[in-house]
This record gives sequence, structure tokens and C-alpha cells, in this order.
Amino acid sequence: MLGWHLARREQPLRGGQTRAVATGMLLALVAGAFLLVLSGENPLDVYTTMADAAFGSSRGWSTTLGRAVPLGLAGLAVAVAGSMGLWNIGAEGQIIAGAIFGAWVARLLPDANGFVLITVMLIGSVLGGGLLALIPAITRARLGVNEIITTLMLNEIIIRVVRYLVNGPWKDPNSAGFPQAPPLPAQAALPTLFGRANIGVLIAAGVLAGFGFYASRSKWGYELRLAGSSEKTAEYAGISLRRKILTVLTLSGAIAGLAGGIELTGSSSRLVEGVANGWGFAGIIVAALALMRPSGVAAVAIAFGAVQVGGLAIQVSGVPASIANILQALILFGALIAGVFGQYRPVRTRTTSSVTAAAA
Amino acid sequence: MNEVTVVGLLVDVVAFGLMLYLAALGELIAEKAGVLNLGVEGMMAVGGVAAFWSGTEFGSPVIGLIIAGIAGGLLSLIHALVAVVLGGDQVVSGLALTIFGLGLAAFAGKDYVSLPAVPQFGALPLGPLRELRIIGPVVFNQSWLAWFAVVLGLGTWFVLERTSIGLGLRAVGESAATADTAGRSVVRTRVIAVGVGGILAGFAGAYLTLNLAKGWSEGVTAGRGWIAVALVIFGAWRPGRTAVGALLFGGLLALEPRLQTFGVNISPILVSMLPYVLTIGVLIIFSIQSRRRPSVAPAAIGRAYRREER
Repeated sequence: MLGWHLARREQPLRGGQTRAVATGMLLALVAGAFLLVLSGENPLDVYTTMADAAFGSSRGWSTTLGRAVPLGLAGLAVAVAGSMGLWNIGAEGQIIAGAIFGAWVARLLPDANGFVLITVMLIGSVLGGGLLALIPAITRARLGVNEIITTLMLNEIIIRVVRYLVNGPWKDPNSAGFPQAPPLPAQAALPTLFGRANIGVLIAAGVLAGFGFYASRSKWGYELRLAGSSEKTAEYAGISLRRKILTVLTLSGAIAGLAGGIELTGSSSRLVEGVANGWGFAGIIVAALALMRPSGVAAVAIAFGAVQVGGLAIQVSGVPASIANILQALILFGALIAGVFGQYRPVRTRTTSSVTAAAA
Repeated sequence: MNEVTVVGLLVDVVAFGLMLYLAALGELIAEKAGVLNLGVEGMMAVGGVAAFWSGTEFGSPVIGLIIAGIAGGLLSLIHALVAVVLGGDQVVSGLALTIFGLGLAAFAGKDYVSLPAVPQFGALPLGPLRELRIIGPVVFNQSWLAWFAVVLGLGTWFVLERTSIGLGLRAVGESAATADTAGRSVVRTRVIAVGVGGILAGFAGAYLTLNLAKGWSEGVTAGRGWIAVALVIFGAWRPGRTAVGALLFGGLLALEPRLQTFGVNISPILVSMLPYVLTIGVLIIFSIQSRRRPSVAPAAIGRAYRREER
């Protein structure tokens, strides 16, 4: 026997999730410091360089916000499904699908003017992500197929589709051995907002705010949360779970697809295999840390954007950029642990004999 | 297509299949106990880099295998702590484990990229059997780790189906509350199952870097951990069927780089999608079947167990 077990607190600790995430970050920094010391780096120097790169200048801020865009949209995509108790593990693939459709639009309309082209590309990317998510949505709603596994498998499928496209039919004939599509037309680039951030920041902020507002005020959002907390209650209230699952998962995919479209027109300037860059997976951590709330998603996305910008900055001085991924995962573990202790407290397990003794 | 190329293909089918089988067996054991662990890809990567480092350092594949198992097992304990002991979400914790493991492996392996792997798992001393035509190289000349994987598969089947330990493990995965009432420690059973799963994923990583890829590079796992997760479903949570699936998926992995030489004019990239497409297909079939008979998946999978909330 372990001797300890967890008992639910009568009242959860105040400040719940914010406190948990802050604790998680602290734990991650400490654990990360151990790793850095082991590999012969000075953690203080590394962390200072990272923070400085992310927040030390207006250029740094603009880069951080730029990275927060795909993280925030992917996080929102996961959160939309998550608030109904569904797991969309496929944001990574839906980002790629969005980028593929965006690039396809650009191939079809190379001469359209900038505004029209970008708008249609983004609409295409929303459709692309939504269409890919339609597969897990239909199989889950109609047949009850576990959406965790189907979305996971579709990630692996769609990454091979983009690999095929940029190595085969869409390969740029002028880029020698590099597997990449030809550059997008010049007018397809999203306009700059400030520094290195483009107006994708505004689009993402608008989508997050709009969705947060709508979900908290509308009947649709209420039904969503009701279905998430109890399927039986929802069905009793006359909500069609099937239709809800179908629309929510497809919407989730569409949001992730938009992230792919913004990434394509905003920063990558051509379709490449690595267009999703792990943002879909990071989005799952973002949504989990934000407890599936849109406002929280925005805050966590900015924090994670900063960690990634910091990770790239220290790469220059020879520290592997993978420290950024390590820190993100550690933040999640730390926050999950802290979250559990916010709701539960460890108590000593009384053995049967001591109970009898107390009774006697 | 001559005999040499066919034999070469079959040798790889078996080797890749058994590498996948090791990881899938580990995931199967964890899932049978009711714990979904999506960290396989990360545990394989860490096992792979640990095997490469220690195997080269000590010049011994055995030490490489042991260290890889320890590394995979230790990593899985994070998932066991977060998702089992503390009852956190299994999906998020497992995915974070993959992100963590891939990051850690890239971090630890930065100095080993593109170095040649020195020690390899050698063949068993089976004498004249290894000289047999076709079956010699394809079966008897396989590394001892391949044989070990077969033994582990048989052992897993035996323990799960024929012993009280296996019965308890399956009970915990089907109905944790019932198993708890019957005096089985749910947490302990699940922690051990997740730990064994981690060790086996570490072994698979060692197989990959020492014998198959013959070196370490970032991304050497290339989605094979996800294939292992898929295999458990494909094999309907049974060691035997999972072995058949492993050979099939291993066959696709082995076929991929050879298609062009066989004169087949399909992109190998498209062929590499097949394991995932097949898995989705199988899942759909299971779901249709489960309307008429009980589901093949462990019932308690994905659910944390807290005694006072049963």
C-alpha cells in the first residue's frame, strides 16, 4: 500500500488554474535548469537570453505574437471540441490541410489581386481543415468511432499527402533538391502589422474573442457545455448529440485549418512539409492548460509563443532549440500536478486495523 | 525480381515488424490495464538515443538494450505519476510525454547525429539452420532481439490469458472499481503496466537505432510510435493478432524504399500512409460490430480511477 491517497478538498484552492499554470511554469524552469546544468550551460544565462529575445524589444514582442497566432488558433480548435468532451488530436493535420487548400487556391488564382487572393486562400484553408475533420466527425457521430485515434491517424496520413505534393506534383522545378512548392505570388503575403507580426494577429484575436463571446452568451455555447458535462442531461434537454458532435468537430478542424492558411500566407511564403511545425500538438497543451476556455487559450498561447521564440534565440549560442519543447511539456506536467493538488489533498490512508481501533 | 531482392525484403519485413511489435506489446499491456499512453513515440526516441549512446560508449548492444529499457521505463513513470497516481487526463499527459521525449532525445542526442552505430544485436548461434535457403536468412539469421520480441509476445499472451496476474490486470482495465473491491490495487497494477510498456518502447527504440536505422538522428522514429499505437487497435488488443498486424505494417515499412526498384510506379510516400488508413478502416469495422457484440477495447481505458468517486 502506498500509505497516502487523495481526498477531494471541500473547497478547491482559490485562483485554481492560474495558480496551477504559474506553478507549472516554475517547476518547468527548475527542471529545465537541471537539464541545462547537466549539459554544461548556465541556466540563468539561457533563461535571460530567452526572455530577452521574446519580450526585450518591440521586434521580440512582434515575433512572440506572431508565434502565438498558430498556437492560439490550434489551442482554440482543441478547446472548442474539448468543451464538449471531445478530443481533437488532429489539429496538426488540419493545419496542414488548411495550408494545402490555401496553396491550391493560390495555384488556381495566381493573378487575382492581393485582397481577393488572400481572402479566398483563407476561406479555402478553413474549408480544408473542416473537410479533414469531417472524417472523424462523421465516424464519431454516426458510428461512435473514437475520435482520438482517427484524428491521430489522420495527422500521419495528411503529413504524407503534403510530403507527396511537395516532392511530386507540386514540387518547384527551380528549387533543385529541396522538396518545396513554388513561391506564392507576391501579392499573397499577409500585410505586416508591426515588426515581424502580420495581421494574422488581428484575425486570430478576432476569432478568439468572437468565439469566446459567442460561446459564453449563446444558446449554442450553453448546449455545448451542457453536452460536455453530461450527455444524458443534454439528450434529456432535447439536444441532438449527433448533430452537435458533427458541427463541433468540423468547426474545430476549420479553426485549425485557418491557422494553416495564416501560416502559409503570413510566414512560410510557400507550401513546405513542415508548415504545421508541431503547433497542432502544442495547441493541445495550450487548450489543456487553459481548461478549454478561449480567454485562457490566448494567454497561454502568448506564453508558449515566448518560450518558442526564446528557444530559437538560444539555438544561436549552441543550446538545442528542443529545450523549448521540453519546457512546454514540463509546464503541462507541472500544471497537471499542481491542478490535482488544487482540488485534492493528500491524506494518510487509514488501514483497516486503525479504523477498527478507532471504532473500538 | 530475383531471389536476393526478395530475401532482402523478407529479412526487413520480419525485422521491422518485430521492432514495431515490441513497442505495440508495451502499449497493449498498458491499455489492457486501462491506461492509454500516447507517449510511445517519445519513449521510443529516448530509448533509441539511450541505446545509441550507451551501446557505443560501452561497445555492447546488451548494455545498450538495458539502458534503453531503463530510459523508456523512467520516462513512462512520468505518465504513471500524472495520469495514474494523480488521475490527470491520459490523453494530454501521453501527448505531452511524446513532445517531452522527442525534445529530450533531440537535446541529448545532438552530438551523435550521423555518427555510425557501432554495436549491433547479432544472430543466435543456430549453425546450419542459418545456411538454409530463404528461410535461413529470413528467420534463423535474425538478431537475437527479434527472437526476444517473439518470446516476449508469447510471454505476454501467457501472462494475460493464463495467469492470475493477467486476470487482475485485465480486470483493472475492464472495471477498476470491481477489481478494487476484489482487493486488487488499481494504482499499483496500472503503474507497473505503464512501466513495462515504457521499457518495451525503449527496447523498440534500441532495435531501431542499433540495427535498423543504424544510427541516431532527430526524427529517426518517424511516426513509428504512432504505428505501434495503431497496431494495438488493429490487433484488437490481442498479442497474437497484434503480431500479425506488426508483420503486415512492418512489411509496408520494408516495401516503401524498394518500390522503385521493383518497378512499381506508385510513390512510396503514398504507400507509407497505408498503416494509418488500414487502422481507421479497422476501427470503423469494430464500431459497426460492437453494435451486435461487446466491444473489443478494454472498457475502462482512458478513465482515471479515484476510489471515493466510483
